[in-house]
Amino acid sequence: MSNINFKKLLIMILTVIAVSLSAVFSQISFGAGQVSDVQLLARAINGEARGEPYEGQVAVGAVILNRVKNPSFPNTIAGVIYQPGAFTAVSDGQINVPIDPKSTVVKAAQDALNGWDPTYGCIYYWNPATATSKWIWSRKVVVKIGKHNFAK
Amino acid sequence: MEENRISEEIFTAERRKYEKTREELERSRAKNRGKNLIIAVLLATTIFGAYQYNTAMKLRQQLNNAYNKAFYELVDYIKNVEVMLLKARMTSSPEMTAVVLSDVWRESFCAASNLTQLPISMGVLSNTEKFLTQVADLSKSMVKQVTYGKNINEEQMKTLENLHKLSVNLEKGLLEMQQDLNNGNLKWENVAKEGQEEMKEVSEDMPKTFGNINEQFEEMPTLIYDGPYSEHMQNRKALGLTGDKVTENQAIEKLQKFLGDGKVKAITKLADNNNGIIDTYNFKMELANKDKDGVAEADVSVKGGHVVWYLYNREVGEKTIDVKKAMELGRKFLADHGYPNMKESYYMQNDGIATINYAYTEDGITYYPDLIKVKVALDNGEIVGFEANGYLMNHTERDYGPPKLTEDEAREKVIRGEKIKSSGLAVIPTNYGTEILCYEFTGKVDDKDFLVYINANTGAEEDVLIIINSEDGILTM
Repeated sequence: MSNINFKKLLIMILTVIAVSLSAVFSQISFGAGQVSDVQLLARAINGEARGEPYEGQVAVGAVILNRVKNPSFPNTIAGVIYQPGAFTAVSDGQINVPIDPKSTVVKAAQDALNGWDPTYGCIYYWNPATATSKWIWSRKVVVKIGKHNFAK
Repeated sequence: MEENRISEEIFTAERRKYEKTREELERSRAKNRGKNLIIAVLLATTIFGAYQYNTAMKLRQQLNNAYNKAFYELVDYIKNVEVMLLKARMTSSPEMTAVVLSDVWRESFCAASNLTQLPISMGVLSNTEKFLTQVADLSKSMVKQVTYGKNINEEQMKTLENLHKLSVNLEKGLLEMQQDLNNGNLKWENVAKEGQEEMKEVSEDMPKTFGNINEQFEEMPTLIYDGPYSEHMQNRKALGLTGDKVTENQAIEKLQKFLGDGKVKAITKLADNNNGIIDTYNFKMELANKDKDGVAEADVSVKGGHVVWYLYNREVGEKTIDVKKAMELGRKFLADHGYPNMKESYYMQNDGIATINYAYTEDGITYYPDLIKVKVALDNGEIVGFEANGYLMNHTERDYGPPKLTEDEAREKVIRGEKIKSSGLAVIPTNYGTEILCYEFTGKVDDKDFLVYINANTGAEEDVLIIINSEDGILTM
């Protein structure tokens, strides 16, 4: 009887160790190397909107670029993306998820950099199903693309 | 015999006893082994936990150090901005004004950069960030103005005075925060916790100082000047948006015509886009003769029913046409859809698609602000993208009149005049929403092609661009 409990306990403890180890290593293995604008933008889109329609992916890229041009935000792409608290995908590490080779996010980043902007200068977006901020609802929605609302 | 039997019995009994004891011993040993293992595992877990805790503490410390560095640097930069803004008003010679203003430019730019590294909720310090960016941008445009021989006027002096007042208040607020930080009332880890979640409402726990600092900029004067972050750049009008309002059905008709007969299987309106600059209908199209991925999207303007952009993302097969052919196809597409005088300039190739820039031309003048981009798939020449925002924002009737300078006079202004290969008249956009009529000269230095723009009326050198020529395209920098 005590043997069975002991086995269970052992398995539980080993699982806990394995999970915490993998969590540690997954964090270390993604180094922050030098990436070009396209790749950095693509990774941000991948973290924020990889499940969105193509237009929605371009739109998220465009919002990041619109922030670069806005005086209230940092003046570089990296500055905007890594501004503390600006994007959930950066806070929770989703931005480091490798890009699926079949994914369209790199193309979307390229189109956004080439000037396609389905949001016409928007600097905010949020998912109305998950957004918790009251402040964001005070913004006038310019357009809805996929799951996201976009605003100036 | 009897004796033997008895001794055997005793022996068996002894043996049983012995075996029983042995069994018991083994059982208790196994039990002990189990206990030992549990103790070992618990020990390992504890060590692992302690190690993790230690690492977490070190990381937190490092993060705190980074935040502190950003903050203390911010305070230093703001101090310098404040002093330099004051100095700028006391300079006498244009040279000294330019030197001091370029210090303002650099210091406020660095301050803005440090400010955005602090873990503060979105929007809490946006006015402060705007202030710093605009001060940097404005002083840069003033430096340019002064070096071009036009000194700071009275009105600009007044602006500098106002900005200085704001910077004094900002410095005061930051020094208060610095005190909180020094005596432990302000901890970045607490601030960071509040600022973590995207768009999170400004929490009660967020130090009041942030809000107080930001409030001072509510009354900031609207700054209009020659720079990309000037206020007027945020509220531009679409000059090229001609025509009357169209209904949704008329917009669908226009879109069908744009994409060509029989190309569209179904069109669905996804949304109305009320951005205030170019209001549009947003459509999703199912393309005929395409597999399940044959979905394209486009925007058609409410005013005039112009296609503002079109995107069709698909796999591109083997390349069968070259970029030259693609440029021709793009030009023909534009001519067929109401844009007859478009000339290609730069292009880029990615994943089998050429993205080509076209500029409007009239009477031998190239109008670079009137820009349309076309994406051509190099497997079959299909148009897979279109973007006319530049054209619709800028295209309008212009009347520049004859240029004051002749081409030869302008050519003399180019130092490397002997290297010039070609030239022509062009209208170029500034990064603050205006346009300049220039002579465009193409030349070559050290195997690098370059473009020089000489103002056709004043003779000033307005821009120099290097042409980057690679397998993947021609771009300018």
